[in-house]
Amino acid sequence: MKKLLSLLLCAAMVLTLLAGCSSSSSDTSSDATETEETETTTETEAAEVEETADVSSDALHVAWSADIETLDVHQTTDDYQIPLNVYDRLFEIQLNDDGSTSLVNSVAESYTVSDDALTYEFTLRDDVYFSDGTQLTAYDVAFSLIRLLALDTSVQTDFAACILGADELIAAEGYSYDDTCEGIVVTDDTHLTITLAYAFAGFLYELATPAGCIYSQAAVEAAGDSFGTDYTYAIGSGPYVITSWTRDSGMTLSYNEYYWGETPDFTEVNIQIIPDSSTLSMMFQNGEIDILDCDFLDSAVVSATYKTDAYEGKLVTANRLGTSYLALNENDESLSDVSVRKAIQMAIDRESILAAIFDNDGSIPDGIYPEGLIGYTEDNQGWLEYDPEAAEQLLIDAGYTKDADGYYFAMEIANDNDNSTSRVNVIQVIAEELQAIGINCTITNYDHATWLDLRNSGEMTAYVSTWTADYNDPDNFIYTFFGTEANTTQRSLNYYNTDVMARVVAARAIVDDDERLAEYAALEYQIVAEDAAWVPLYSSSHLFVLSDRIESFVPHWAGYSDFCFATITRAE
Amino acid sequence: MKQFLKRLLGAIPVIIGVVLLIFLMLRIIPGDAVSVLLGDHVSQDTIDRLTAAMGLDKPMWQQFVSYIGNLFKGDLGISYTYGLSVSDMIMEAFPYTVKLTAMAIVFAWAFGLLAGIISAIYQNKLLDRLFMGLSLMGLSMPVFMTSLFLQYLLAFKLGWFSLVSDGSWPTMILPAIALGWNSAGSIARMTRSSLVEVMQADYIDTAKAKGLRYRAVIVGHGLKNAMLPVITMMALQLSSMLSGAVITESIFAIPGIGRLATTAITNRDMPVLQGTVIFTTIIVIAGNLLADLLYSVLDPRIRKGQ
Repeated sequence: MKKLLSLLLCAAMVLTLLAGCSSSSSDTSSDATETEETETTTETEAAEVEETADVSSDALHVAWSADIETLDVHQTTDDYQIPLNVYDRLFEIQLNDDGSTSLVNSVAESYTVSDDALTYEFTLRDDVYFSDGTQLTAYDVAFSLIRLLALDTSVQTDFAACILGADELIAAEGYSYDDTCEGIVVTDDTHLTITLAYAFAGFLYELATPAGCIYSQAAVEAAGDSFGTDYTYAIGSGPYVITSWTRDSGMTLSYNEYYWGETPDFTEVNIQIIPDSSTLSMMFQNGEIDILDCDFLDSAVVSATYKTDAYEGKLVTANRLGTSYLALNENDESLSDVSVRKAIQMAIDRESILAAIFDNDGSIPDGIYPEGLIGYTEDNQGWLEYDPEAAEQLLIDAGYTKDADGYYFAMEIANDNDNSTSRVNVIQVIAEELQAIGINCTITNYDHATWLDLRNSGEMTAYVSTWTADYNDPDNFIYTFFGTEANTTQRSLNYYNTDVMARVVAARAIVDDDERLAEYAALEYQIVAEDAAWVPLYSSSHLFVLSDRIESFVPHWAGYSDFCFATITRAE
Repeated sequence: MKQFLKRLLGAIPVIIGVVLLIFLMLRIIPGDAVSVLLGDHVSQDTIDRLTAAMGLDKPMWQQFVSYIGNLFKGDLGISYTYGLSVSDMIMEAFPYTVKLTAMAIVFAWAFGLLAGIISAIYQNKLLDRLFMGLSLMGLSMPVFMTSLFLQYLLAFKLGWFSLVSDGSWPTMILPAIALGWNSAGSIARMTRSSLVEVMQADYIDTAKAKGLRYRAVIVGHGLKNAMLPVITMMALQLSSMLSGAVITESIFAIPGIGRLATTAITNRDMPVLQGTVIFTTIIVIAGNLLADLLYSVLDPRIRKGQ
């Protein structure tokens, strides 16, 4: 009886709380609207848009598997979809028909580079307005870049670290809106000059990454600490504005009437958060989702359900500027032996993995750079063959002998529990293939945070992971893994060849493009073929399925799950 | 009243104990928020800078003292991952979970009792077999399977319900059934067996001999006595329902407190995780406290006996 009572009381309390919470939450949202309205007098349009947040059936419907963490691109290395659609950058990267990419002007109308490749002078378009009707100026560009460097919680500082004075800003504690940077000088509303600390060929590409988003200084200052969490301050000059956001439930966007580019086909976008992949698949089949990102599904489900006659012509395959690899820790006793690492490279049947697990959607590069990346060269392909007998012979030649169980030595591959089913299958195949040549390979599971911690500590023996390009340049791949000792430690590679590392750093400053690319090709060959410090696996394509409402869809140039809504066209 | 105040004060050390335990446990497990935040784009400089900016470089006791201090001011802290106030996040997510569990309980009790009584009346008839079969299904299937099965059949194939819930009452029906089916099954079976047993007692024969209608005998005499074990079980099921809600919330895309907690543990978002645990603890303690209070009001023996 006592239990029943307590239960009833609990329920009663909970219901009172429920009533309390629901009214208070609607209060706060209307508060936010009110402050916004009173603060800016020219914002009647923005307020009107907000009232029409109801999603019509005309909208584009997409889904995310998890909600984004922040709207502030300076504080995330992951959540790019909103920055890509709400903000503009000085440059954009365009995907060409032949799969190559090119840098195109966006807010920047033109630019000049000095002969020493250190000074860049930019002229901006004068017709770019933020969604609150104010003009985007060179001051906003400078403000955004300085904030990127100086904000204590910025995680994107790498993308502007080559600017003169950047190191001081990154190291300095605290951030104020008045911070300045030695290398960034604004001449007038449409002109600014950026000076680099050292020549770096990838600089303009870095400005085209999501980290290069241009914020409205006024909006960032008005938002204060709530910038990134309060969507009403996400004021950009891109094609869309956010009209509502319920955390973990969904978000709606609508067309930014001040946008300087073409009006998109879909003037409203409805994003839903669907954590369960089978729910997502059913919603798509029900017509509730317009673009299905197959990265969220098991590739077996994709083959069985969507690679069928029913969806013929609806499947879009995007080349992913990314590569999956097996990392081997050179601090491990056996793996420190280059013969062992070469044996492992040869023991993995990558062609079968791509065929069986990814239904041949992808390619198997023999180096670090995937096809389509600047610096990818056919010269470094075709040397790595699957040959388990030769692999085992390498181990025997290196002096290894079998123990009582029939193994030369043991190793462990660390699996991240957040890995997709396809990735887990890949790891299982690799473990079996290594067993076949006499390496006692086991798989240990870690939860995501533990896995990251172990990898960052430099003590993980082996793991499978993928790197996708932030900007189209070989530096983005090779420097990340082999640029500094700290970098190779944090990836648990512990690469020993410091000569190569010095060359990787030096290559950043080579001004002549042919010379630079030749050096990157030589470095790739040295690291993968000579030192066997990298076990290339595969580069899987990124598949999307389109609903009947979509005429055409252009995936992100690097094959991200995040893409631009404005280029999607509606079927008549 | 004095008794009540005493109990209230007694709850404070319990809450502090729970906070300390959670605080320590969460820091013993490996993995930290900064690593998860950076993911693949890791660099030692950034890790150090962020750790300092979040105050995670301070000694653990200092972090604990400042956390407790803020807690007494009603401040649960700021989420590492989202930069939002933890209490706001909990208050936003909580109504969804309450709605879901409340509806699941209503379904479980209503269906369970009704099915149990009907089965007892029509013992070994077709209706009894049907209800007991359904109950057995609910009991044997784990919540995630029930959810997927119901979603596929009723929402996807038949189109009677929407696939995901937007938080409104109608779209919550399917998730609530999925969550409540298991409990409904055990309540139905318990009601039936208890009722069947009671119906063999002597006082039931007396009631029948008085010439009462069979239905009146069941409801007026049998049910009253058969309910006691059933009620005990109903109360016990609440906690299992709350844990089942985590799965149901994920499948039906409901932004409730279960999802908040699971995302927080993946991200090692300690303030949010601590917040959700403390919040639940306080509710349980408050519930017990109020129950005790009401008990002593209702039963003079408890008041006087102390």
